Amino acid sequence: MTNMRMTEKGVTTDDVKISTKNVDVFYGDNHAIKDVSVDILDKTVTAFIGPSGCGKSTFLRCLNRMNDTIDSCRITGEFLMDGEDIYAKKVDPVQLRARVGMVFQKPNPFPKSIFDNVAYGPRIHGLVGNKTDLEEVVEQSLRRAAIWKEVKDRLDAPGTSLSGGQQQRLCIARAIATAPEVLLMDEPASALDPIATAQIEELIDELRHDYSVVIVTHSMQQAARVSQRTAFFHLGDMVEYGETSTIFTNPVDQRTQDYITGRFG
Amino acid sequence: MVSMTELSKMHGSPESAARLKKRKAAQWRLQAYGILAVVLAGAALVTLLWSVVSKASAVLTESYISMPVVLEVADIDPDGTNDPAVIGKANFGGIAKDTLKLTFPTVTARNDKREMYDIISSGAAFELREMVMENPTLIGETVDFRFLASDIADLYLKGSYGELTEQENSGALTIDSDGKTATITSSADDFTFVMAQVRADLLAKAAFNRQQATLQENGRVVFEERALTAATSEEGAANSAEAVKRAVERDRLIALAVDFEERAALGGSTEALDKNSPSVLVRTSSGWLKLTEISPQGGSGKIIGEVESATLDAADWQVYLQPTPEASRKVSDLQAMLIEDLRSKDAVHIVFNTRFFTSGDSREPELAGIWGAAVGSFWTMLVTITLAFPIGVLAAIYLEEFAKKNAINDMIEVNINNLAAVPSIVFGLLGLAVFLGVFGVPRSAPLAGGMVLAVMTLPTIIIASRAAIKAVPPSIRDAALGLGASKLQTAFHHVLPLSMPGILTGTILGMAQALGETAPLIMIGMVAFIVDIPTGITDSASALPVQIFRWSDFPERGFEARTSAAILVLLLFLVLMNGLAVFLRKRFERRW
Repeated sequence: MTNMRMTEKGVTTDDVKISTKNVDVFYGDNHAIKDVSVDILDKTVTAFIGPSGCGKSTFLRCLNRMNDTIDSCRITGEFLMDGEDIYAKKVDPVQLRARVGMVFQKPNPFPKSIFDNVAYGPRIHGLVGNKTDLEEVVEQSLRRAAIWKEVKDRLDAPGTSLSGGQQQRLCIARAIATAPEVLLMDEPASALDPIATAQIEELIDELRHDYSVVIVTHSMQQAARVSQRTAFFHLGDMVEYGETSTIFTNPVDQRTQDYITGRFG
Repeated sequence: MVSMTELSKMHGSPESAARLKKRKAAQWRLQAYGILAVVLAGAALVTLLWSVVSKASAVLTESYISMPVVLEVADIDPDGTNDPAVIGKANFGGIAKDTLKLTFPTVTARNDKREMYDIISSGAAFELREMVMENPTLIGETVDFRFLASDIADLYLKGSYGELTEQENSGALTIDSDGKTATITSSADDFTFVMAQVRADLLAKAAFNRQQATLQENGRVVFEERALTAATSEEGAANSAEAVKRAVERDRLIALAVDFEERAALGGSTEALDKNSPSVLVRTSSGWLKLTEISPQGGSGKIIGEVESATLDAADWQVYLQPTPEASRKVSDLQAMLIEDLRSKDAVHIVFNTRFFTSGDSREPELAGIWGAAVGSFWTMLVTITLAFPIGVLAAIYLEEFAKKNAINDMIEVNINNLAAVPSIVFGLLGLAVFLGVFGVPRSAPLAGGMVLAVMTLPTIIIASRAAIKAVPPSIRDAALGLGASKLQTAFHHVLPLSMPGILTGTILGMAQALGETAPLIMIGMVAFIVDIPTGITDSASALPVQIFRWSDFPERGFEARTSAAILVLLLFLVLMNGLAVFLRKRFERRW
């Protein structure tokens, strides 16, 4: 039961990056995602909001095929990125994940040096040929993640020696280093303090100029600040999808209205 | 209806105070049990180490006897070829014996000479041979050579067979000698104490015989009863005969006991000394006298060396008592006297025993060393770890990261866990049947032993590695996968390094267990007597625990100390391996 309305106002680009139709996800017998269709636009921040357990993280993980690692998970429906089915047999999930990067809720830098953390992606995908280019890629990624100034003197320090906010920015830099086209972020600031959260949000706003960003968030205020498009999930259904400003001021569905006014969730 | 406010009032009540007291008492008891257990364990460890170390300390030194050796050209290299092959064929054993005869010219009787030859080791002649072969210019000269003492001489020098205790003497000794035997009399009561010792020994013998007689009596009673309750007359007759035998034996023993007691009771008269009584030896500057008859003033006995009729001042003669009878020890009186002579000539050298750490096994305790077994253990461990570590770790990675969760893989997991509990000798049978029988691996080789031990250690390594891999948090895997790493890259670049501390600990524990295994090695033949040091994994070899097992079985007392020393070497190996485990853990430890 989807009630979907898209408005064109205030959208920076209407190129569809990822198009999903009639997606169902089952964990064993549990029907986690029920017939969801949503289009993710390029160079846009799309936010998924909704109460706990409504399926937003599950849907997010479908977009880079991370649910493949879960044996009991069954996915049906169509996922097209740039017009091509990402669940086709000939598509290698490993290659896909280089193009669709992911940042997780709890910062998880590798217990290696900061340099090696960021360099890992380019190394395994063979993106650069020599050491100088690699160093440049690392520097650019760290700059884009707004952490270069803080770590440029200690690139050999372990990634785990940074503070929480810095670690998350390192993880973002690491994800960017593989030169993805889409960035998936699963509640990236929920484990951080308000100042670090503000830094992350500022970062996300800059990132959308180069990437298509999909962010799952618990905080409606964050979604309102950061995103251009918002999808509201509830109990496995996607209830409403549209421009952020519309969702938060003038939602179509009653459930959306109830959620944003704080009646539940 | 329960009122919560009523319940709240119960928190401060005397009942709850009593409960608190009980809880605290129970906790205190648990702590006390824990401390008690630790103390008991510590005491057991200290006892073990003390007993092993005190026995093994005898191995620290070995004894040499230096004597001048006449290297006759005619005996060794009559044609003057200077050819090592020719020199090597000479009879160096005979030369060694001649050296002893030269040092002790008064020893002439056949049995006495045999005892004299037994003072030096059979390996000493080989060492003399090697020295002459390396240095042919010595032929024709007289050199001072250090002969390795035999195991009984070495033990005597270390005091294992009891000490010759010198007694005080104050009187002048009159000797009446005919060259072979002599009678001695002291002007003071110098022999009274010794007499008392001899008497005490007689009484001890009497008591022992009486005890044995009691046992015979008990046996007689049993057989009498059986004769009475016997079913058939033949059985009754047989039992009666047995009873009679017991009675006869009992009476004989009691007669002996009475005899001993009577002799002990007679004060002041002479007492005969034989090989079952303590030895009394009198020493002068030129020779010894072994008493065969003793009285409080002196006695008479056999001469060893040269003793002439004379009267000696108290300072010029000594009397020695050896409480253990000659029949109960391996070192005869003659050997003791010869060794004491050598000792007073400064011909005895006690040096640090490097031979134990550098030579291989031998049938003679004084020549036996641990190096062969240590090298064999080393090669075996090398093969074991080369096989078990890669296979085990890769198997664990496969089972944890790649294998699907289905019934077959569950069964595999159960079987691997069960294999860890299989008795090790079964692996020895496997090695015998498959490695030796089918693959044709050379028997007794470290290769075979290593393969058997690798199979035995594999379950331990797999289980420890799986636990370590499971402990790596999934966030690391997610991060790697999210970057586009394949499962293989995730496993080897991230999961494996993080699980290394646990894997290494499990591996080293498995290796330490394998180092001490004896049963499977016995099955594949590494328990043979190997003298040479193995140079590779296909040479015949022994192993440390097997060596300990064999040495502990040998009757020579010299091996007792060496068994304990070998145990200490094995313990040292284990301590080193555990230390290595701790070091590697610290080095690989990361925080995530």
